[in-house]
Amino acid sequence: MVYYVFTLVFFLFDYFILAMGLNIQYGEAGILNFAYIGFVAIGAYFTGVFSLPNGAGTGQHYILGLGLPFPVNLLLGGLAAMCFAWIVALIALRRLRTDYLAIVLISLSLVLYDFCNNYVSLFNGADGLYNVPEPFAKALGLSVNSFIPFFACVTAVVSLLMWFVMSRVMRAPMGRTFRAIRDDEVAAAALGKDVFRMQLKSMLIGSFYAGIGGGLLIQFGGSFNPTAWLPGETFVVFAVLIVGGAGNNIGMFVGALFVETLLIHLPAFLPEIPGHPGLIEYFDNAVVGIVLMLVLWFRPQGVVPERLRRAASFGVRERQDGDPATDAAGLAAVHAAAGLRGGQ
Amino acid sequence: MSLRCEGITKAFQGVHAVNGASFDVPDDRITALIGPNGAGKTTVVNILSGAMTCDSGREFIGETEVTNWPSHKIARRGLMRTFQLSRELGGLTVLENMLVAPAHQAGDSLVNLLFRPALVREQEREHAERALELLETYGLYGQRDLRARELSGGQKKLLEIARAVMASPKILLLDEPMAGVNPALIERIGGYILELKQRGVTVLMIEHNLNVVEQICDYVIVLAEGRTLATGRLSELRENADVVKAYLGEVIDAGAPR
Repeated sequence: MVYYVFTLVFFLFDYFILAMGLNIQYGEAGILNFAYIGFVAIGAYFTGVFSLPNGAGTGQHYILGLGLPFPVNLLLGGLAAMCFAWIVALIALRRLRTDYLAIVLISLSLVLYDFCNNYVSLFNGADGLYNVPEPFAKALGLSVNSFIPFFACVTAVVSLLMWFVMSRVMRAPMGRTFRAIRDDEVAAAALGKDVFRMQLKSMLIGSFYAGIGGGLLIQFGGSFNPTAWLPGETFVVFAVLIVGGAGNNIGMFVGALFVETLLIHLPAFLPEIPGHPGLIEYFDNAVVGIVLMLVLWFRPQGVVPERLRRAASFGVRERQDGDPATDAAGLAAVHAAAGLRGGQ
Repeated sequence: MSLRCEGITKAFQGVHAVNGASFDVPDDRITALIGPNGAGKTTVVNILSGAMTCDSGREFIGETEVTNWPSHKIARRGLMRTFQLSRELGGLTVLENMLVAPAHQAGDSLVNLLFRPALVREQEREHAERALELLETYGLYGQRDLRARELSGGQKKLLEIARAVMASPKILLLDEPMAGVNPALIERIGGYILELKQRGVTVLMIEHNLNVVEQICDYVIVLAEGRTLATGRLSELRENADVVKAYLGEVIDAGAPR
């Protein structure tokens, strides 16, 4: 029972991280990243190969094998996903937008999947990586059963830290610029915003989150192979984001709780229907699809919609609503305050 | 700061929208860009502001050549613009629209966000104070917390101008700022533009309302078939047979064309 509960807790917080990463890309900056699960996989694989010992004698084939401790390997896994995003962005993001970018990214996801599945020397091909050392298990003397609650708690702490940072970003001018670009690229550029540079930032931050989420996945299960990141998995993260409410971190948590924990993972723990073993599990994607359609139809802004930032939250003094200043003196004073130089 | 272009051309699938437009927009003056529909006025403004590249020709802001620079770089040189169809940032509040405008915001950097939050907060507060003052002036204070997409057409026009002013422009390109707004608001917008001129902002505005041009513009550029047909004061242009034929026509007697 403890195993079941903490497995659900782990997936809740891990998908909270993944959804926050996709949110900064899609919910905030409007980048339709259909290759998101590819960045999760890069993070997972690199966290694995940074943690695993040298490949010789393990029966697996993989690069690196540096035997680095947790959380160094996890951070490097996140950075690897970020580097991959940087390369992708330099090629795709500079020229392409919206639908075209989405098509290129979904193609990239498929190519990456086939490549990792078939090129054995990289991440052990279709068998994937396994026997990845469990963080702190030896040092703390954790058994297989006690490791799961322990690591679910570690994931929760990591996700809260990442939530704190993400909230700062979204509340700050950076988040506002992302949303400005999402709403109207041309207007944002006319206001002096470097659209490519800002979208690149959003890609990098989001991919770091994807990489960390992936890294935690491989550390939790001890293994990771191509069945864990079929390209369609991207749409589960999109479902988390859309159901929860794009543009709101609390929405990401609610979405992760509802979609990932309750709809995807909980059914696996339900009793089987007599005579139809495993039938319930096959329904998870169909149920997610139906829920997604219902949300888009009845509540397109998601369960917890994007919050508006009100003037009072900037710490400015309130004033009376009044008539606009139309006299020359009033106008002059305001324009002068706006930094425009004096008349000549 | 002055704005100058020489021999700008732009063709769309072989059709010349702009075909050698050349003109000077004098320093600290309000200049009108007029011409018949399809003369290439908006295309010229799009090219000058970097939203479009030109096929040939040159553009200068002051002494610096900025031909085919991207929008954001031209904006950072101090050239701001508004659009014919308002391009408010619909999902942001009116106040947030204003706050996007200032250049060099500390909070656009992740390093500052994480390690210098006090600096970011203080700068945000200062910008918000300034933005609210401008909103008050432009009559949008009461709408500060509304999403910009919820504003009326006239309010969106005002927000676009206020947002451009928030960026402390040296040159302001206004694409039909009076289109579709009521007469009282036309007067108010005219007042704002005149005041900006007093503050040393160079204004280039596309305008069809000749009453407005007559009242607030110092100088007029007439564009026809993508070329500069004539430049000068409106009173002089009324005597120019080419201008009368191409654009003014019978509206001379009627005053405003609309």
